Amino acid sequence: MKKKILLIDDEESIHFLYKEVLEEEGYEVHTALSGEIGLKVFDSIQPDLVILDINMPGMNGIEVLRRLKEIKANLPVILSSAYNEYKQDLACWASDDYIVKSSDLEELKASVKRHLR
Amino acid sequence: MPELRKDPILGRWIIISQEREKRPTDFIVETDVVRGGFCPLCPGNENTTPSEVLAYGRNHPVPNTPGWTLRVVPNKYPALIIEGELDKQGEGPYDKMNGIGAHEVIVETPKHNEPFSQMEPERLANVFFAYRDRTVDLGRDPRFQYVIVFKNFGRAAGASLEHSHSQLIALPILPRMIVSELEGSYSYYKYKDRCIFCDIIRHEVQYGTRLVCANADFLCITPFAPRSPFEMWVLPKRHSSCFSSMADPLFISLSRLFSEVMRRLDTCIPNVPFNFVLHTGPLRSQPLEHFHWHFEIMPKLTTMAGFEWGSGFYINPTPPEDAAHYLREINLSSPPPVNEPRV
Repeated sequence: MKKKILLIDDEESIHFLYKEVLEEEGYEVHTALSGEIGLKVFDSIQPDLVILDINMPGMNGIEVLRRLKEIKANLPVILSSAYNEYKQDLACWASDDYIVKSSDLEELKASVKRHLR
Repeated sequence: MPELRKDPILGRWIIISQEREKRPTDFIVETDVVRGGFCPLCPGNENTTPSEVLAYGRNHPVPNTPGWTLRVVPNKYPALIIEGELDKQGEGPYDKMNGIGAHEVIVETPKHNEPFSQMEPERLANVFFAYRDRTVDLGRDPRFQYVIVFKNFGRAAGASLEHSHSQLIALPILPRMIVSELEGSYSYYKYKDRCIFCDIIRHEVQYGTRLVCANADFLCITPFAPRSPFEMWVLPKRHSSCFSSMADPLFISLSRLFSEVMRRLDTCIPNVPFNFVLHTGPLRSQPLEHFHWHFEIMPKLTTMAGFEWGSGFYINPTPPEDAAHYLREINLSSPPPVNEPRV
């Protein structure tokens, strides 16, 4: 059975990019355009891993992270942000990895593979 | 009339703007929203942090498990990394080196909602012991010249997680601020053959107008030229340039005074965001006659704008004599409010 990944990001272009690459790797990818929607999708699909943007309108990624880990502490969550400086936010420690968005998706693919092993 | 004041150590000027003088109740402090949810620093979540480098209080030998009263862990996403060589290089007029350093987080309590200002002195003593133990350990690494120890409290002061913690960063260079303090105090020493901090202590004890509180070993003052309203310095009464060389009983004495200082500040301006920084001598330095270790506590009540950035001047709407008066007058006999701890 395919492993399920939930991608929560407010940029649709990221959905297209990540979905294509991760589906090629054999994963089933679900998407959500906000933190609030992401939490609902999480409840319904129970993914094996979440890729989470930080800077989103409404509920930001840090809030979503804290809620996800409260629900399921061992759920792998990869933070994916265009900005490096959120690393200074200790709340990010609840995540399993932090990846700075880039056109080169090798780091993302490697991180997903590592956490879904 | 506004007043320009010069810091006698750094030569930095500040402006006391008494026309817009602010009392403690004039400051609007936004209370941080406790965000709740999963906390990576709470007991039971040790596997979300890097492996600890120090822990106190556990009565069993298994690391990275609950039972601790204080825990120190490397930063999970550090700005500087511990492995590697410095590889110092010149590039024309510019200098650079690899980003080598150690960035650690001191988790001061297992209780999620125990603010620093409400910690018992015994717990604060543990925090100070941890500062010493980690500084001594990192000081064995010849790549490092200085360990900066600091705390951010409140979002406005840079703290992103409400679980009480402080941080330290071991650096391969001396921070500019410490170099300036060392140079300024040495210049005074060469001229007068006395430590400027010892002179400041004598003066403040004699006149008392900027004295906040004191015990047999330490005192707290508002400095003559403070950058921030209610800025405070905590200094040992006896001359010492190195925090880590302090004898154990003095840590207990320091924690008692520091606890009082924090409670005075928090009662005066509840939940005020603040930073504090330990200023101490460079790693492996011999005792310095001209330098005196101390803590600088900076409440975050004003913002730096163009004038401050451009001039290096700070505008302070509360004279330190008034701030010291307000802090001294606080009645600490009534018990502080108690937050419901999570654990």
